[in-house]
Amino acid sequence: MNETKKVHKKCKRYAARLQSSKGVICCDKPGINIILCNVGQATGLLKDDIVNLLNTLPSVKLKKFIAEKGESYSYLVFDSEACALTFYQNYNGKKCFKDDTYLYMCFVENVPNTEIICPYKDPEGLCIIEEFISKQEEQKLIEVFDWENEKPNLKNRQVRHFGYEFRYGSNDVDLDAPLPNKIPKECNIFWTRLKKYDINLEPPDQLTVNKYIPGQGIPLHVDRHSPFGSTILSVSLGSSEYDWQHGIQPRTWDPIIDHRTLEDGQRVKVVTSETINREMRLSLTFRWTRRGNCDCIYKTLCDTADTMSTNDLDDIVASNLEELHVHQVYEQISRHFSSTRHQAWPQVVGFVRDTPPGAVLLDLGAGNGKNILKRTDILQIAGERSSGLLNECKSYIDEVSAADCVRLDLLYAGIRDGSADVIICIAVIHHFSSQSRRIQAVATIARLLRSGGRALITVWAKDQTKSNYLCKKKENVLHNNSTVEVAGINLPVHENRTQFQHKDLLVPWKLRGVKEDKLADKPESTLLRFYHVFEEGELEQLCVSSDLIVEKSFYDEGNWCVVCKKP
Amino acid sequence: MKLITHNMLTSKCLKGVITGYPLAITATVVKVSEVEYNPEFISRIIPKLDWEVLWKAADSIGHNEGLPQTIDPKFEDNEEFLRKAHKVLLEVEVEEGYLTCPESGRQFPITKGIPNMLLTEAEVQ
Repeated sequence: MNETKKVHKKCKRYAARLQSSKGVICCDKPGINIILCNVGQATGLLKDDIVNLLNTLPSVKLKKFIAEKGESYSYLVFDSEACALTFYQNYNGKKCFKDDTYLYMCFVENVPNTEIICPYKDPEGLCIIEEFISKQEEQKLIEVFDWENEKPNLKNRQVRHFGYEFRYGSNDVDLDAPLPNKIPKECNIFWTRLKKYDINLEPPDQLTVNKYIPGQGIPLHVDRHSPFGSTILSVSLGSSEYDWQHGIQPRTWDPIIDHRTLEDGQRVKVVTSETINREMRLSLTFRWTRRGNCDCIYKTLCDTADTMSTNDLDDIVASNLEELHVHQVYEQISRHFSSTRHQAWPQVVGFVRDTPPGAVLLDLGAGNGKNILKRTDILQIAGERSSGLLNECKSYIDEVSAADCVRLDLLYAGIRDGSADVIICIAVIHHFSSQSRRIQAVATIARLLRSGGRALITVWAKDQTKSNYLCKKKENVLHNNSTVEVAGINLPVHENRTQFQHKDLLVPWKLRGVKEDKLADKPESTLLRFYHVFEEGELEQLCVSSDLIVEKSFYDEGNWCVVCKKP
Repeated sequence: MKLITHNMLTSKCLKGVITGYPLAITATVVKVSEVEYNPEFISRIIPKLDWEVLWKAADSIGHNEGLPQTIDPKFEDNEEFLRKAHKVLLEVEVEEGYLTCPESGRQFPITKGIPNMLLTEAEVQ
């Protein structure tokens, strides 16, 4: 078989594979679009590699290069069919790159439109001044601030502080401990020059310098703002081709942002498929520290008091958050979770054992049913939302003569009012993400209890110092302060087996050890569960707000527990 | 789903529904399995139930087992009655089928013996 036939056969095979796995339709008829079947963003193809090939063919003009994220193919759109054909004839089946890769290509009718039009206006109050400093000034500032690359001291970026340290552990500023290194005098050009733009600012007293080398970034986030005044001054040095979206993708390139006018005259930004290589970037963030409480209007995002941060969550936001980080997680981990939960807690066993014969007991949020005792003289109904856990529960209680399962949601439990003599609700209410939903959960318990009926409620305590949960070895572990943005709120991710730093947080669950579970041992097998951890007295307050009488409250192995009675 | 459980289920959390009780049962698979008999438990639990609802539910799925429609005041001493009640309350189980809200007609599926009372955000009050 001669070389041309070999190449042709190879291309056919690629075309078939692309069609079946990606739905890409290749055609034999030459056109202006070409798909490079075996090179793309995922294989490390750079636009420069293509530019190098084109340099040898001066007559060939390229209109567009499209390399979609994570794909091992890419597209070229040429000015004309003749250009495309010339490129095809010169390079198809040839060694084209430094690493001796053969390049295989096909013609395609269509290329994906990877341009994204951003219809959003800039945030209110944002003022962008481009080319605010000259190239020489920029270079000088880089010399002042740049430092030798070091291991990122934060996840994926390097940071330094001047004036005051912003403490990532507690997310605040210690106003009583100013840093010896003040904001360098080279920065004075900023506030003096701003006066020309009619912006009069006192010199700031706190500066954070973030250094990003290509490939580093910062996740989407909402800045901690309560320790500071309402103005932020931000200066970008070096490579800075990025949009105002508050996060930076950890990659080595950025899309080029084009400003265009739509047909209706609206000015928009367009994220094009063109890219530019990223260089080192220094970001200077100047802030003014504040004393006293924050008086901002951003109720759901404000961080003034941790206890307030999610108390006022909108119900739809809270419900979405729970769907993602409670319900879906329990469905995925149900088998593994169940395999780690064999024994009921002694406190719970004692409470259920003391239930008098003939009683109706509801276990709300029953999980795999481990708290259901093998008693024939009481009715035990296990209510649970997760179908995975309910299946475990159903088989577990099969041997218990007077026990049954119902799939329900604690907030809208389809059970008649006053039907329970006893309710247990173990490690459930801490999964509700807003105060109003936690109140509603306890109100459901009050509604379902008959007059004189009792409930045992337990939740995770913020204070874990008197439990076995804390790992001695981790006492001095630096908190990585990673956060995840969910439904518009930024939630800290907890470091397992350490003291809780926040009241509302995500707790990782590492799936492992369950062979049948396809998720096990894969990188995505760490799942995040939402928790609102309770302060002392908080659970009692919820009970009182539902007119329940708190008979007993205690701390047990990292949990706050109450026994309450409906009057 | 045992019939004792059905006696407590309601669809009143649905928007616009006032009592949502009792839910009608449509059973496609019914299982009867023997479980331990505890006469003391049966005697104590019966006064907590809505007997009429229980009887109609049992009758609707063909398992009234000859139980009376109303309870005899001295039922605790009636061994034959207690045994029948035990069977209807704990041994008869709806494995597959659905429950229907008497006011809105909303159906709640019963799968592998578990009634699914979950509601969507849009359905609740």
